Amino acid sequence: MLDPALEKPSPVFPHGAAPLRSLTITMAVMCYLACLAIGALVLINQAASAWTQGISREVTVQIRQRSSADMEQELAQALTILKAAPGVVAAEALDKSAGAKLLEPWLGKVPLDELPVPRLIRVTIDETSPPDYKALEKQLAKQVPDASLDTHRRWQAELSRMAHALSLLAVFVLGLISLASIMLVIFAARAVLESNRSIVEVLALMGAQNKFISRQNDRQFLATGLIAGFAGLIAGLITFAGLFYLGGSSTDAMAEAGRSLVFAPAAVELRVGAALVLVPIAATLIALWTSRITLSRMLRNMP
Amino acid sequence: MSEGGNVIELQSVALRYGTGPEILRDVNLTLRRGDLRFLTGASGAGKSSLLRLLFLALKPSRGNALLFGRNVNNLAVSELPLLRRRLGVVFQDFRLLDHLSIFENVALPLRAMGQKPAAYSHDVLDLLDWVGLKGRATDRPDTLSGGEKQRAAIARAVVTKPDLILADEPTGNVDPAMGKRLLRLILELNRQGTTVLLATHDEQLIQQAHGKALHLESGSLKAA
Repeated sequence: MLDPALEKPSPVFPHGAAPLRSLTITMAVMCYLACLAIGALVLINQAASAWTQGISREVTVQIRQRSSADMEQELAQALTILKAAPGVVAAEALDKSAGAKLLEPWLGKVPLDELPVPRLIRVTIDETSPPDYKALEKQLAKQVPDASLDTHRRWQAELSRMAHALSLLAVFVLGLISLASIMLVIFAARAVLESNRSIVEVLALMGAQNKFISRQNDRQFLATGLIAGFAGLIAGLITFAGLFYLGGSSTDAMAEAGRSLVFAPAAVELRVGAALVLVPIAATLIALWTSRITLSRMLRNMP
Repeated sequence: MSEGGNVIELQSVALRYGTGPEILRDVNLTLRRGDLRFLTGASGAGKSSLLRLLFLALKPSRGNALLFGRNVNNLAVSELPLLRRRLGVVFQDFRLLDHLSIFENVALPLRAMGQKPAAYSHDVLDLLDWVGLKGRATDRPDTLSGGEKQRAAIARAVVTKPDLILADEPTGNVDPAMGKRLLRLILELNRQGTTVLLATHDEQLIQQAHGKALHLESGSLKAA
């Protein structure tokens, strides 16, 4: 009966060698960073989309106070116009204290009865067929001269610009991480191959064919790439889950976006999932490809 | 090569490393199937370089080197593995792989040829038994003494029953009794038709084998 230790051949290239361990750690860290960059990209896009959606669902009508005008009458008139306008789902006048509350951060808790604080009407619009803002503005200006319509367009545009800039930044960071990962993996893979040079020489001198040596080498790098890649991915997912739990029950857009990384809608989840799974696969392929090129160069230069 | 042809044929072979001086000069040597030769010479005379040239780790810088009838200067890269499989080499520094067991080291040439452990395990264990290492089959080379490593290296060189054995100081680190035992193994293979070229300083070994010696002096080969 053969000793079981002799039945299963060990890998020809040592799996625990120091350069290989360095490669594994390097790849795992770079994969983790790539996952974080992808996550950040998704977070920014989700949060920006949530913010702009909230803003585009509502517009505000403001009525300035004039001593000669009857504010309540103007409010009622404006509400009538707004409710009758196509594309308006609801219009609700905010009471005086709501306007005072908005000024509180600047003025503090002071009685505002003496001040001409404008009154606000919150208008909820149908996003799919919004009202004709120009016509609505014209009608309001004609019948309620103190009213002005704020469609938040400027804020929306600025938010979109900022979100776009942040997305570009995340893509740029992701690109840099990918480039650095590729360079590091190439460097580390070469170091591993260099440390295995004497083994390659012995194998070649024994008459091992290049494809046998390549197969042994592929096994080593495939295992390393997959272990490191998935370790980075799992660490990334744990970080996202941590963000989700830190966000707790908060309902703000950022927490919502964080949650979406863990429990995303199907379409987003599929895209994010595919991008994240691509990270270890790409890392493994890079390691494999580099090691093959280095090995074939090494074998070519052997006598 | 026909079975009766020359195994080694060196015609005015010279060897130099890079742009350095010639290590070997006008070496002529012919060994036929079943020949046994001992290569002697002082340290630095070129014995190891000549062996390296013969196990295809180097190419001659001048002259023709034919192995099994094939000129090594004209060999395609794809032809090297099959030619090397006909050689059994005992390296001076053993070149055992430290992360593999002694069993796996000895079996490595068979594994490289695509054989499965089930096919070679018993033969390898028998061979390890012959060289006195069966009890250390699962140990790593770094736990072995110099003599034990040498025996493992010899076992690895002969495990494929090669057509040509090239050995650099194969008994240099073993005691006389084990040296005799290893020599018997090599002589047995030689009796079966394996050509053997052994580089050695050991005069006693040459006398025991009743072998012919070739003497290398300053890169030139002379019959001793």
